[in-house]
Amino acid sequence: MSERIAVAMSGGVDSSVAAALLKQEGHSLIGVTLKLQECHDAHGSRSCCGVDGITRAREVAGRLGFPHYVLDCVKDFSDLVLAPAWQEYAAGRTPSPCLLCNERVKFGIMLAWAERLGIPRVATGHYARIERDPAGRPMLLRGCDGAKDQSYFLAGLSPSQLDRALFPVGHLRKPEVRALAKGNALPSAETPESQDACLVEPGHSFSEMLRKRFDAPAHAGHIVDEAGQHVGEHDGFHLFTIGQRKGLPAGAPTRRWVKSISAETGDVVVTANPDELVRTRFSAKNLNWLDGELPAEPLRCSVQVRYRHPSDPATVVAQSDGSLQVTLEEPVKAVTPGQAAVFYDGDRTLGRGWIHVE
Amino acid sequence: MIYADYNATTPVDPEVRAAMAYALEAGFGNASSLHSAGQEARRLVERARAQAAALIGAQPDEILFTSGGTEADNLAVLGVAENARPDKRVVVTTTVEHQAVLAPCKHLQATGHPVTFLPVDSHGRVSLTALADAAKPEVALFSVMLANNETGTLEPVADVVTVASGCGAPVHTDAVQAAGKLPIDVKSLGVSLLSFSSHKLHGPKGAGALFVRRGVELAPRLHGGRQERGLRPGTENVPAIVGFGKACELAGQRLADDARRVAALRDRFEAQIRSRIPGTRVNGACDARLPNTSNLAFTGLDGEAVTINLDMLGMAASNGAACSAIDHAPSHVLLAMGQDVSDARSSVRFSFGRDNTDEDIEHAVELVVQVANLLRGARP
Repeated sequence: MSERIAVAMSGGVDSSVAAALLKQEGHSLIGVTLKLQECHDAHGSRSCCGVDGITRAREVAGRLGFPHYVLDCVKDFSDLVLAPAWQEYAAGRTPSPCLLCNERVKFGIMLAWAERLGIPRVATGHYARIERDPAGRPMLLRGCDGAKDQSYFLAGLSPSQLDRALFPVGHLRKPEVRALAKGNALPSAETPESQDACLVEPGHSFSEMLRKRFDAPAHAGHIVDEAGQHVGEHDGFHLFTIGQRKGLPAGAPTRRWVKSISAETGDVVVTANPDELVRTRFSAKNLNWLDGELPAEPLRCSVQVRYRHPSDPATVVAQSDGSLQVTLEEPVKAVTPGQAAVFYDGDRTLGRGWIHVE
Repeated sequence: MIYADYNATTPVDPEVRAAMAYALEAGFGNASSLHSAGQEARRLVERARAQAAALIGAQPDEILFTSGGTEADNLAVLGVAENARPDKRVVVTTTVEHQAVLAPCKHLQATGHPVTFLPVDSHGRVSLTALADAAKPEVALFSVMLANNETGTLEPVADVVTVASGCGAPVHTDAVQAAGKLPIDVKSLGVSLLSFSSHKLHGPKGAGALFVRRGVELAPRLHGGRQERGLRPGTENVPAIVGFGKACELAGQRLADDARRVAALRDRFEAQIRSRIPGTRVNGACDARLPNTSNLAFTGLDGEAVTINLDMLGMAASNGAACSAIDHAPSHVLLAMGQDVSDARSSVRFSFGRDNTDEDIEHAVELVVQVANLLRGARP
């Protein structure tokens, strides 16, 4: 049955092929490219203000024969993604802005906009799948291409958002997507990956870009070892994340890694022992649990603590405050506060929470 | 496709295309060159100048070719203001002008020129009381558009001329939308400067003109060669100018018939939409309106949603703004007419033209009704 669908088009190969597949199925499409920042704010990041992407997306839409619009989300993106991301850095945590962008902008602002146009569905080029459980509720599954799977980034979508989402390339592998782009002579067949890099200027730090954007002070402070011994100085703890080696004082007798960050004291704590970076317990807060109810009994599942990281077996126990206590079966390195913990039962996404450690 | 966005741009007339093809081939010379190739280019440009002049009742030497309406408006507003005496620097314009006038006026304001933005009534007509109040000896220029691009409302430019003559200031009028749709005679209108554009009257993009009455002094915006009396230097875009000239000639010949026929189409469209979609209002519905423009407010609907859905169904209309998530900026013209934000956001501009047929109108009505029903059904 022909449906009315808005396809989010970055100009990249994945969303272009997603659009081509939906077009072949005979749906009534519009292409939408989100404008996320002003040109003068782009500071030469790889996608600039998205003008290249807009141009390519419009080429693809023209080639496939459906209209294409640019949706100005500059303010929404700043308020809903960048500002909260900076708040996380300022609190000594490491945010996951791509999840926020999907939850709040692509399947928030854009979905609402499409609804206003009388278009009930939004498609993207993400590598993830949606299937229905016997009760007809949407289930979010990993993409078939394990190396490209993006279910991690989508695990914050609510059941009602998933209900209206389409991921047409989720069952494909990247080489198949590239081949389809070539076969359809789509102009974006050879474009580079954009995910994860959509805002970061090559060679520059995302957190520093945010700090300048929001005109926030950098909190310089001490770098100390686990015994509290002074090791050096830093220009701002927002420049560090757990497990990081870069930016630590050179010339130390042994290699060191960031073990923890304290926004209260401004200290960045380092360790020379990589075993100190591992952790078996953390809590996951502000959960999006796709079944609705958190598990009543301890649940054995697997958890992925960052993008492009294998998922590890764990047991989760719901707490009275609505969070989950997560106990990993094997210690996992660099479990980082602020990152998303995404829970899986096999390929099926159970939900997402934000990592907190005591 | 049903094209109902003639105020945005118009298709190039086949006769215009033929004239341009000739110019590309035989008129490739530089019109400033001494030799025969240049002389042919010069002949073509000067013929076009006479054609453009004839459309508005001007003398050929009163026509300056520009790259289009925006450049003509900028040259008029900034060119007069820059030449103004220190005691005569005020610019008076309206709140409903096109950005090509508003933006240079705001630029002047930012650089120390006092600028008065006259309010308009609920039809978009400039307030004559405010106009009279603004008429002071310090005024260097009045700039009031002939017809509004969004609503089609005609401004009382003749009244502006009367008031302006009382304070010895020239009047510029942006006639980009009016030219080719209404008969214009600069002598009886009495303006000193008038901008018009090629692509709004079935000519190519990239050409326009500023009428500058003999004796009116302007400061150039560009500095270079002696083309266009040194007021607009740069080698002439001969094919576009030739196309513009031909389009002006055709507009002059067809204007009366086109206006009558297009007005009948527009009126039928409006009547049918209003009877089939209850709550539809006409913005700027006064007698003094362009014959082709119908700016409709669909109460309770979103103008952007209507426009995009029409596009999906193969009909081109306009809601005058870029798409934005929640707070798409409503039209400054409709807000200036006293409408609230939700009324302004519910509006869509339909503008018809020479190539629209009776069947187009029937089909257009069906599509608009279909979209209105779909969007009402989609309301939560």
